[in-house]
Amino acid sequence: MSASTPNTPGRPQYDVVIVGAGVSGNTIAMQLGLAGKKVLILEAGVAVPDSREEYMENFYLALAKTPEAPYPTIAGRTSVNGSITQADPATLPTPRATVLGLGHKPNLSYLVQAPPEADDKNNKDPQNPKPLPDGSVRGLQFSSTYERIGGGTSWHWLGTSLREMQNDIQMKTKYGVFYDWPVTYSEMQELWALAEKTIGVAASVAQQEPLEVVGLKFPPGYQYPMGPIPMSIVDQTVSTGVAGLQVPGMLDGDGDKRMYDVFVTPTPAGRNSEPYQDRRVCAGNTNCIPICPIQAKWDPTVTLGTALDTGNVTVSYQSVAVNVAVQGKSATRIDYLVWSRDANGKLTSEKKSVTGKMYVLAAHAIENAKLLLMSQDDKGNKGIANSSDQVGRNLMDHVLYLSWALINPNDDPIWGYRGPLATSGIESLRDGDFRKYRSSFRMEIGNEGWNFSASDPYNTTMDYIQGANNALLNPNKQRLGGLALVQKLNSLLTRQFRIGVMFDQAPLPENRVTLDPTYTDGLGLPRPHIDYGLDPYTMEGFRVAADVCSKVYERMGAQEFTTTGKGGTGDFTYKGKNYHYYGAGHVMGTHRMGNDSASSVVDGSQRSHDVPNLWIVGSGSFPTVATANPTLTLMGLAFKSAKSILTELGS
Amino acid sequence: MTDIPTPAPEADVQDFANMSAALTGFQASVLKPKLDPVGLARTYYEFALAQVGAASMSALLNAYRSIQSQPPQAVADMLLETVSPTPSNQALICQSIIAMWYLGAWYIPGVKGDFGFPPTPLQIISSQAYTNGLVWKVMQSHPMGFSPFTFGYWSQPPGSLSTFGVNTGSGGGQ
Repeated sequence: MSASTPNTPGRPQYDVVIVGAGVSGNTIAMQLGLAGKKVLILEAGVAVPDSREEYMENFYLALAKTPEAPYPTIAGRTSVNGSITQADPATLPTPRATVLGLGHKPNLSYLVQAPPEADDKNNKDPQNPKPLPDGSVRGLQFSSTYERIGGGTSWHWLGTSLREMQNDIQMKTKYGVFYDWPVTYSEMQELWALAEKTIGVAASVAQQEPLEVVGLKFPPGYQYPMGPIPMSIVDQTVSTGVAGLQVPGMLDGDGDKRMYDVFVTPTPAGRNSEPYQDRRVCAGNTNCIPICPIQAKWDPTVTLGTALDTGNVTVSYQSVAVNVAVQGKSATRIDYLVWSRDANGKLTSEKKSVTGKMYVLAAHAIENAKLLLMSQDDKGNKGIANSSDQVGRNLMDHVLYLSWALINPNDDPIWGYRGPLATSGIESLRDGDFRKYRSSFRMEIGNEGWNFSASDPYNTTMDYIQGANNALLNPNKQRLGGLALVQKLNSLLTRQFRIGVMFDQAPLPENRVTLDPTYTDGLGLPRPHIDYGLDPYTMEGFRVAADVCSKVYERMGAQEFTTTGKGGTGDFTYKGKNYHYYGAGHVMGTHRMGNDSASSVVDGSQRSHDVPNLWIVGSGSFPTVATANPTLTLMGLAFKSAKSILTELGS
Repeated sequence: MTDIPTPAPEADVQDFANMSAALTGFQASVLKPKLDPVGLARTYYEFALAQVGAASMSALLNAYRSIQSQPPQAVADMLLETVSPTPSNQALICQSIIAMWYLGAWYIPGVKGDFGFPPTPLQIISSQAYTNGLVWKVMQSHPMGFSPFTFGYWSQPPGSLSTFGVNTGSGGGQ
């Protein structure tokens, strides 16, 4: 069977056609392939390379080591007039959101973000819109990025494999806000176990048990597939330093008056503490994002390999789905463009179609929404599976606040820039009555010094070579060389650490993906248009988190250096204080799941309410952000979808 | 720049390596080992030469040769003109040479970063330049994405600076 077999009415070419070879698509393909079902995956991007050396070389030579740096490169390797050159998304077959392309500039940013901004190279001032009367800030930029390549964005996931807390999936019932998830916690426990085995999660139940106070529960006798990743010296130092610290649920004393314990727990991780699936143990490359050089961290290409080994799964690369044809209540075929570049680099494409009994959209939260909005029903109306009008709405990110500090010079160094990027976190503040009033958060302790927060070691190094103070550690603008430079840099860089805080951002209907009416990609397809902002519920979480971070540093005797408004878009003002937010790469909500077809796009199996032979999967189905990083949970949900597809196909 | 001979004479490369050792604080045998499969000293010398031109490089090496018998820190401070409020072009070239060894990239002399960010380099000189960057040794660590260490090393403190090739001047120990 091949994708080019002519469509015979009544006899689909495949049992299931899946769009997207990432976490969800590969997991479903694996399950279907193991059950003997014939599956085609349409992957928009290039094939998984035979060796990751090619991607490593891209990483080494990238001028900015952004999450996308290793992957088929769209940024120049030589700077021009002090700037990194980038391809215009209008010229690329599969442009994607990139860190370097952030901003309201459609010639750089694949996502067309409102409002547009003058293309002024020198305008590095934060875009800091005035709050509306209700405290909301609109016109912000969506800062998360994603890949469109074989294997998907989780090439550069961190590996964090936390389970959600019990109340994460019942916010409406427990706290009267937002939505409940249409799955039970006990079912999620089974799904997480499947995902943990597939990924190979390293953790210890005993180490996680203190989190029972915030609603983390394991079934009796449960064991992770392998033992935990050792805590870094950074983790150990923070853990000791915060001993006994308690913080209030709300800053202003009203609402939740409880005091919450702050404590550190090791983070369950999708990286090997022992050989697993023929992959090596972690060597602490401190590079999980953007790429693990030795694949000690699970990524979706591992599961794709298992799927392909069944002999029942085929992948068609460079195949961009452009239309899911729907007749009545059935999806009948997927139209797609197979693109290539000729010898002169000219982009060409050929239109093809493929049929299946069932269809799965696993293209990413934003790309799923885009494809649904582009697709046509039999009456020629644009937009399918959208009787709820929720497709593309409730766009959420696990928005991130970053704080950073230097450990006290009288203490031993904290030895960052060593080990996996993060090995522990503060998970003890993820649940409480405060969730009625403000967003909850988890706190990730970084092992990479000020790399994320202040572009170090580059920044401080250049500061002391050139006599500048961009990283704020050279206030006297000293210029040093020789052993004096070594000793100064050593004393500073080995004392750096940071805490990243990720928020349970509120689902808002006005945070939305639509089809941009003006801008297209290199295949002539509309690009996603993003309207985005933050509401007071979410921003109050930032306010509390910034305070908690400061209390942690104070308790440790560390000196905080967190700055906001340090450049680029991504700042907002709340209650008179300026904050900078980052994207976490955790994109959610654009086709949310629920039991009510009037207010949700898919059901608890991620099956379309409107088009029952169509599953729309991934973190786009999350009704709320919840507090864990999403990969483990979205893989668990993919197992649930695979099961429902198999039931429907009859096995 | 047709006046640049290639390959550069070995004696110039060796002097460049010795000067770089003083500027960076590392041992010359680390920058230019006797058995040198990577050959970064030559790569860097030729790269810098192409960037700054033969006249500037020749003047710099001669300036170094005239003071090379002094202690390494004194050599570094003189070449970098650390006490001068307005370092010369030659001192700015020395800054770029340190940055090249530390970060594996060529930073255009005198171009500083702004708005809290470091300057963008012209280019990363090679993947081996990245993985041999000295700043990672300064931190008693390893380049991000290139760990020579084994599972769990991060739960223990690292070895001393001298084990990372820094010329601590005491012949060993930190």
